[in-house]
Amino acid sequence: MIKTPLCDLLNIEFPILQGGMAWISDAQLAAAVSNAGGLGIISSMNADENWLRNEIHKAKSLTDKPFGVNVMLMNPHVDKIAQVLIDEQVPVVTTGAGNPGKFMKLWIEAGIKVIPVVPSTGLARFSERAGATAVIAEGGESGGHVGEMSTMPLIPQVCDAVSIPVIAAGGIGDGRGIAAALMLGAVGVQLGTRFLVAHETNIHENYKDKIIKAKDIDTTLSGRSLGHPVRSLKTTFSKDFIKAENDPTTPPEVLEEYGRGALRIAAQEGDSLKGCFMAGQIAGMIKKKQSVKEIILTLAEETETVLKGGTQWVK
Amino acid sequence: MVLEKVVEILRNYKDEQDLEVTMASTFEELELDSLDTVELVMEIEEAFDTSIEMDGELQTIGDVVTLIEKAIA
Repeated sequence: MIKTPLCDLLNIEFPILQGGMAWISDAQLAAAVSNAGGLGIISSMNADENWLRNEIHKAKSLTDKPFGVNVMLMNPHVDKIAQVLIDEQVPVVTTGAGNPGKFMKLWIEAGIKVIPVVPSTGLARFSERAGATAVIAEGGESGGHVGEMSTMPLIPQVCDAVSIPVIAAGGIGDGRGIAAALMLGAVGVQLGTRFLVAHETNIHENYKDKIIKAKDIDTTLSGRSLGHPVRSLKTTFSKDFIKAENDPTTPPEVLEEYGRGALRIAAQEGDSLKGCFMAGQIAGMIKKKQSVKEIILTLAEETETVLKGGTQWVK
Repeated sequence: MVLEKVVEILRNYKDEQDLEVTMASTFEELELDSLDTVELVMEIEEAFDTSIEMDGELQTIGDVVTLIEKAIA
């Protein structure tokens, strides 16, 4: 049985969070993860407050366990989203794509546990000072928007920089990765890519099949020139995008426009010509579709086995 | 003399002692991204033993100096 202080802190059975993935992490996936003992997280992406309120109600109807919402701080509706979280008494909020400073006080006063996703020790320290319950330190091996640092050097440095709990993310796909993260000082993990192929995940079957087929070298980074690098599967779309990006005559607004809607198209239509299939570098390790419950129980068992086996090297 | 101290911290941070900095210098011009800005603001806060609200967007060195001056007034 894997149990860390994060379990009591968030009132969950296993110290495993499911990442908030735009157009992917909906109420159904989040509720399935929470029901299986992890912490499910709804992605509020660029949605408005009505969409989010409906998803929260749906999740509440599917589980009586705690779940969270990921807030993308660049969302134009972010002020109203922030209030919905308070009105609905969402127990945990994770934040990405910006500095949550503006909302921290409001959320904390409302009893919400705020867990920012951070790519550096500086933002981790800043988050701690602003009252964050914990931080998710995410390395650039992850899918979606990524930072420069890799998980292996990031986690121990963040653990040294702050005294609040650290959750590791980026490049973790099985029990070996979870055990390693715990050894680096984290008290929990957040996984995204592994949950893409769950039966409960509402994405196009093509997306799941692409993950199953992916090899270790099948992800790539695009959007560096726009300042928001994104890791996704190598597809016709990503190759064309990178080509356009490397062409100095392409204006940035054309690139932005080119990428617009690409996440939705991947998730809902499964179209590799126009869709951006976000995925982390561990996609190559995922070989079968499973239920969320199977995934979480397998992860927990593997972690236990690996951690117990670690003592064999101590002579 | 907040500006002078901020400039000194900035020069040390970038390890460029001849760096030209004015109140109007933007973080972008100084080639500091959002993560550098957070690091730097925290260093400045520690130097002045105060803290500033990083709610809004900090664009220029002048923005930081003004907030620090307000905080220690």
